[in-house]
Amino acid sequence: MTTALEPVLSVRQVLTLDRVLAGEPEVVAGAGHLDRPVRWVHVAEAADVGVMLSGGEMVLTTGVLLAGDEEKQVEYIRSLYRAEAAAVVLGLGRAFPAPPDVMRRAAERCGLPMVVLHRPFPFAELTEEVQSRLVRRKFATVSLSESVRTALTGLITAGAPLQRLLDEIALHAGCPVVLANLAHRVLATAGERSAVDDVLRDWERIARQAGVGEGDRWVRAELGGRGEHWGRIVLCGYRGDSPIGRLLAERAAEALVLHRMLGGAAHSWEEQSAQSLLTDLALGVVPPRQLLPRARAAGLPVNRRTFVPLVIRDGDPVALDRVLRLLGLPGLVAELGDGATAVLLSLARDQDAAALAAYFATRLRTESEAGAPVVAAADACTAWEGVPAGLREARHVADAVAEHTAALDLPVVVRLKDVRLRGLVRLLRDNPHVQSFAERELDGLLCGPDAEPDLLAVLRTYLATGRNKSRTAQLHHVSRPALYRRLEAIQVRLGVDLDDFEQAASVHIALLAHDTQHR
Amino acid sequence: MSRVIRAAVFQTAWTGDKESMIQVHEQAVRDAAAQGAQVLCFQELFYGPYFCQVQDSAFYEYAEQIPDGPIVKRFQALAKEHGIVLVLPMYEEEQPGVLYNTAAVIDADGSYLGKYRKTHIPQVKGFWEKFYFRPGRSDWPVFDTKAGRIGVYICYDRHFPEGWRALGLAGAEIVFNPSATSRGLSAYLWQLEQPAAAVANEYFVGAINRVGVEELGDNDFYGTSYFVDPEAQFVGEVASDKETELLVRDLDMAKLREVRDRWQFYRDRAPGAYTPLTTP
Repeated sequence: MTTALEPVLSVRQVLTLDRVLAGEPEVVAGAGHLDRPVRWVHVAEAADVGVMLSGGEMVLTTGVLLAGDEEKQVEYIRSLYRAEAAAVVLGLGRAFPAPPDVMRRAAERCGLPMVVLHRPFPFAELTEEVQSRLVRRKFATVSLSESVRTALTGLITAGAPLQRLLDEIALHAGCPVVLANLAHRVLATAGERSAVDDVLRDWERIARQAGVGEGDRWVRAELGGRGEHWGRIVLCGYRGDSPIGRLLAERAAEALVLHRMLGGAAHSWEEQSAQSLLTDLALGVVPPRQLLPRARAAGLPVNRRTFVPLVIRDGDPVALDRVLRLLGLPGLVAELGDGATAVLLSLARDQDAAALAAYFATRLRTESEAGAPVVAAADACTAWEGVPAGLREARHVADAVAEHTAALDLPVVVRLKDVRLRGLVRLLRDNPHVQSFAERELDGLLCGPDAEPDLLAVLRTYLATGRNKSRTAQLHHVSRPALYRRLEAIQVRLGVDLDDFEQAASVHIALLAHDTQHR
Repeated sequence: MSRVIRAAVFQTAWTGDKESMIQVHEQAVRDAAAQGAQVLCFQELFYGPYFCQVQDSAFYEYAEQIPDGPIVKRFQALAKEHGIVLVLPMYEEEQPGVLYNTAAVIDADGSYLGKYRKTHIPQVKGFWEKFYFRPGRSDWPVFDTKAGRIGVYICYDRHFPEGWRALGLAGAEIVFNPSATSRGLSAYLWQLEQPAAAVANEYFVGAINRVGVEELGDNDFYGTSYFVDPEAQFVGEVASDKETELLVRDLDMAKLREVRDRWQFYRDRAPGAYTPLTTP
């Protein structure tokens, strides 16, 4: 990354300075090039002035050595042109009482702005004025660069998350900031919400144009390191001077590269982006309609689609993403914490959502190295507004089914109807009456000096299998007589008869309530 | 209601042996069919490593008869079972010592429709293809499949605009470009040439590239397979540059008509002025 930025004024800006206006400037050639940057102001009378310049200078002259020699006048202009001077300013007076036509035509041909001063003044006043401004701008630029760098470095060393960094960048830029990967997928944004939404609404189209044309106010800096190119940061509609915008974008890019390199590979930016989106969706704090542009920009197809909210228990998000790619299913994957990962599938309307969810779950089993993750689903919905409730329902189902998966005969995709009583108990788990009921019913097994966790496990399996003794014995690797002894011990401790349906049901509900408390 | 073709491409890494490579691709057929894909194209020389990184006659044994070899038969059965059109880029033996870089096209009922033999054969470092293949002269076939009218233009062919045009003139709606191309060599062209061909010829292009570094050389195959429409817009996202991935995309043929109504490239071309192009 290079910072080839010079704090500059344009020719047009110099001409509007009070001191210059007093000299009654008139642009006599190159009027279409007044936005050229002026890097320095230089007084030069010599005909071969070009050799002394390095480009970007506004050259001031009285023309005293050029008067009367049209060939020299043309060569003077050409020399400035070859040296890439920003403009030439001719003070009218003894040498040239009127704008010299030969010089004017030569400057016009070269596209070199030529300005005459009808009321010349000492050039020293102009050089002092312009150069002090240039120095002030340069100092301000260096100062801004340093303060942005210090702020961002401070955040990185304090372990700030990516979003905090982007917020800081947006604060300095005063416009929406978008971080995108090479596929133009938006990974994170910052800035005023409605302005960001405006940018995201049409992101795919405008992203490809960003930074292409001059003056489009989209400032872009590439992100990469160690020979790899990762993505880009875009300041969208930056309203300040473009060199300052470029400087900000480059400082931001440096900081983001540093952040990524120091951050390790715990969560890629893509993962963080999906996580933030799906978490916001599931929490329901932000209206789903407002999250639609973010979803679209994150690469999820959203127009005329069927959405399938899934929550997977004990699934590795990276492996889930890999399986989605393997199957060619469009979707987002995000870790929700506590062993749960959300997957939001986006299918074409004519596709069979239930069949594809089952296909995904089946392939997940064959592709998973560690066991068979539980895949919980809510009903598919064609309205985006239905997604948050769907994600919450899938999460609820996944949590409800979290225990006893070995004992339960679950379908490959578990739905609300499959968790039955378990689902209801989970919904009521924070109710104090339910909690005290569970404690009361299971007191004999949970308390006392000789509490046996093994008996609780046997009870759990016995009830989950519908009081199937041979299956329970098989799952606990014990003989049937041994199981009978344990069941007898359980009945004695609890003071219940497990052959009585109501008593068994009561203990079962208590156990489900107990288990939901201990997850 | 416009016609939409659900089309798929599959990119993957060399597994280390031919049989498991074939099985990975058989699974991809099942996965694509599960999503309702009507047509699926694999990567160049799909069941082998990209052996052109070296010049070794041992790899001649990867060549098979088309359509009478076992691999085509195997995938004909699969195409029929799942009702999907398959484009199979393979190593073809016409007769001993006469070998081609070919793509066989199987219709959704399992019938063999024909083949395209790669026309332009490279011979540069890491791509020693002249050692293995005779240039094809296939007269730019376009296959009238159950999914739509499909052309194939293999890997290095894509650098030559003439073939793209010939396939357009023959009525292709989708042209598949199965490839094996490496990061250092062609990454800057990969998202430039095929979108340009899609625009110039006003059809859809499906570009496929394998992934990974294989044991035969340093070529870093960078995947990033994609579909692009006649306005040079990617249809959905571009695939990963490292992972095995199936892309299934809905290609709306109304877009093709819309663009051809807007730009009359086929009407305004001037074949009479192009004689120097066909002068050897």
